[in-house]
Amino acid sequence: MYGELPTRSFILIAALLGLGIVLPLLLPEYFLYLGNMLMMYAVLAIGLDLLLGWSGQFAFAHIAFFGIGIYGTALLHTRLRIPFVIGMPVAAGLAGLTGWLLAIPSTRLRTVYLALATYAFAECAQWVFRTWDGVTGGSDGLRIKPPSVLGHVAGTDPAAFPVVAVVLCLMLVATLYLTRSNLGRHLCAIRDSEHVAAASGVDVKRVKIVAFALSAIYAGVAGGTYTLFQSFVNPDVLGVGQLILVLTMVVVGGPGSIIGVLLGVVLIGLLPEALRAAPRGLLVWQEFLYGLILMLAVMFMPRGLWGLIEAQLSVRRAPAKQAVSAAIGTSGPLDLKGTGR
Amino acid sequence: MNTIFSIRDVSVRFGGLTALDAFSMQVEEGAIHALIGPNGAGKSTVFNCISRFCQPVQGRIEFAGQSILDLPAHRIVGAGIARTFQNLEVLRRMTVLETVLVGLTSRVENYVPFWRSAKRSRAERGAVEQADAILVKTGLMPYRNARAGELDFGHQKMLDLARALAAGPRLLLLDEPAGGLRNREIAFVDRLLLDIARRQGITIVLIEHVMQLVMSVADRITVLSFGKKIAEGTPVEIRGDPRVIEAYLGSAGHA
Amino acid sequence: MFSLLLTQAIASGVVTGCVYALVALSLVIIYKSTDVVNFAGGELVMLGAYVGLLALTYFEVSYAVMFALAVIAVFTTGAIFERVVLGTIVGRRHSAHTELVPLVVATVGFGYLLKGLVRAVPYTEEVRRLPPLVSGPPIFIGEAILQRHDIAIIAVTVVVMAALTVFFNFTLTGKAMRATSQNGRAAALVGIPVKRMRMAAWGLASAIAGIAGILLAPKLLMTPDMGVVVMLAFAAAIIGGFTSLPGCVIGGIALGIVQNFVGILLSPQAIAVTPFFVIIVVLMLRPQGLFGEMIATKKV
Repeated sequence: MYGELPTRSFILIAALLGLGIVLPLLLPEYFLYLGNMLMMYAVLAIGLDLLLGWSGQFAFAHIAFFGIGIYGTALLHTRLRIPFVIGMPVAAGLAGLTGWLLAIPSTRLRTVYLALATYAFAECAQWVFRTWDGVTGGSDGLRIKPPSVLGHVAGTDPAAFPVVAVVLCLMLVATLYLTRSNLGRHLCAIRDSEHVAAASGVDVKRVKIVAFALSAIYAGVAGGTYTLFQSFVNPDVLGVGQLILVLTMVVVGGPGSIIGVLLGVVLIGLLPEALRAAPRGLLVWQEFLYGLILMLAVMFMPRGLWGLIEAQLSVRRAPAKQAVSAAIGTSGPLDLKGTGR
Repeated sequence: MNTIFSIRDVSVRFGGLTALDAFSMQVEEGAIHALIGPNGAGKSTVFNCISRFCQPVQGRIEFAGQSILDLPAHRIVGAGIARTFQNLEVLRRMTVLETVLVGLTSRVENYVPFWRSAKRSRAERGAVEQADAILVKTGLMPYRNARAGELDFGHQKMLDLARALAAGPRLLLLDEPAGGLRNREIAFVDRLLLDIARRQGITIVLIEHVMQLVMSVADRITVLSFGKKIAEGTPVEIRGDPRVIEAYLGSAGHA
Repeated sequence: MFSLLLTQAIASGVVTGCVYALVALSLVIIYKSTDVVNFAGGELVMLGAYVGLLALTYFEVSYAVMFALAVIAVFTTGAIFERVVLGTIVGRRHSAHTELVPLVVATVGFGYLLKGLVRAVPYTEEVRRLPPLVSGPPIFIGEAILQRHDIAIIAVTVVVMAALTVFFNFTLTGKAMRATSQNGRAAALVGIPVKRMRMAAWGLASAIAGIAGILLAPKLLMTPDMGVVVMLAFAAAIIGGFTSLPGCVIGGIALGIVQNFVGILLSPQAIAVTPFFVIIVVLMLRPQGLFGEMIATKKV
């Protein structure tokens, strides 16, 4: 969590970009639709993880910012003819601003009160989307005109796929840099101990608000990508169910780790497909399964699936505890000569 | 010998409970000043006031001419005061190196975290170099990439100290640095504290229950009981003070 | 004319408020005893109603037996959940730092599990109705009309509140539960079986939620999504100050009445958003609600 990005990361992201361009030529449309959904969820989930896994804030307003991203980008395009490359960042910025405003009074609330307040906010937002039908089309929903990105018209799944991939890659690069920065360390410090963080000079309140706003921007960006391949939006997709889905992806995959979250997105995102392919009648158990998976994940995999995998890998590399105790006996008087101050 | 740190008439109340009652203490520059007293006497409350985790209802706290009570918690370390924690609030999931990097927060220049830049590379490289130097000097280099939560107790305490030292403080507040350590480790801490104070001129205030350490390193001792100062003086004076002995016999004190 | 509307709004507000109060009591008992916010509270309400329905239609028992069976079933479900799921998470804690997030996520999952389970059972595809506790011609209170069942709701709420007061203040188990919630470690030292107390608290709270379900169901069409009433209960509990039992009742009734006024004065559409609005306003301005303790108390 410091220093430069390893070359390995750049190679992986470049590969992802390559897939983004090549796959639309190879795969059938339905798979590309799945791919678009998964990539969109990836941005959503990483944004939620910033809040939940990295800074330890249990906030549920994420889905409201997703909505701002969707409606914002769509309306800017449909009503004001603002192209996607400007409209999406603007909508995401709006989401971030809303997040920032919400964060200011909320971050002083204790864990569960924060959860309740942000959840209430998300419900209020969904109500606004539903009732403000002059702007959002209300419960009847909003038709989304296919946006064009730098001349290339998205709108169908194959056309949107490369654009969504580009957005995801950009977000991944930004996230990788973020997690290796002093801000990233501050987020983790706050999660592990606010006292230690503050006593070390971290402005806890400000960093929490920044994390909130950043997380909201991610949700807004995800909303923007929604408009690339979906032709219609209505407030029903902006409810608790969606939030629980993203939460499950983060919790099961591995909170606090990008790879873990991506793993969770793929597994949980493809679960409905697996159920569809399974013996008839299993799809109706979807909700039950999500609940069960959530419960089992927090009971037995506190660091998610990726945490389990990582633990297995590092068992081979960690120094034995005995070496730790032996060292304290052999170290001589502390030599602090020349400590620069 | 000048007073670099002073607490004057500080009182703290939690609901109906008076945790500190008009407490005053002066600390000389470069000295090792111990704060002792039975459990619940209010010692941690003193530290928490300085860290700005709680607000006194009256009183002043000054360090190097600056009023500490005017500052928010995150500016205390910038003013030159760093502290360790008794309950080992270790940054469990961060590595040893990352913990020390957090300790360096006040000394690393700011940069935009989302992309690569010359400023960023410079700042990060410098920070890691400084952190590594501290790890070498505190003997934690072998555990550089281990998670703090996986270290044994003695090393976690060392890490907490390394984190506090990383900030380059002029005043170091140590909350039970020897608590739970074995004798050999206590001797290590003894030498370490003397080195920090004598050779580097860092002023130390420590809360401690392990009397052997207190008597060995402290220049001056202040004794708290039920939120009030009941005695103050050199180790020799305190050892024989009947009020101190009574305060400890009244509760489960260490020898 | 307006005064009629007013009295009716107040009267029916009190009734719905009592239902919110019962569910809020359930949430607060769990929070006070185990420090967990139970996001499955609404699904426990729903479970009570559906188990009751099942008992009546499949086993054709009398109303009284149905009531008892449903309450016992929900009690057991809650207690088992606490012991098995939460117990595993709590037992795993290896730092002094309470990891609340996994506990709360577990309750979220539990809610989904219950809802999904009920929805998957084919019997529930049709929307059903549970019979009321008391039937008969409606009763007039001043100018307002209330169903007999509504009166029963108020009566049950009063009884539950009284029973809880007696339980927590005058019985050994109740006092032990309070001790556990105030200071778990000290309670264990004194010999109180903390694990069993947590289980009992969850069982008790779940049972109350189940009762709320049986009372609520006759007033609306039952669906597995009935659990959304929990947000109203949260609002009620927050108004009262999440740690006060009488606060729940006052908060619930206040919310019930306010909702009706919002419906009359603003629009029926606004009723849906009222609880959320109330939650945000209270938490931003006065997080401790009416009677809550200042949130600083730390347990040893």
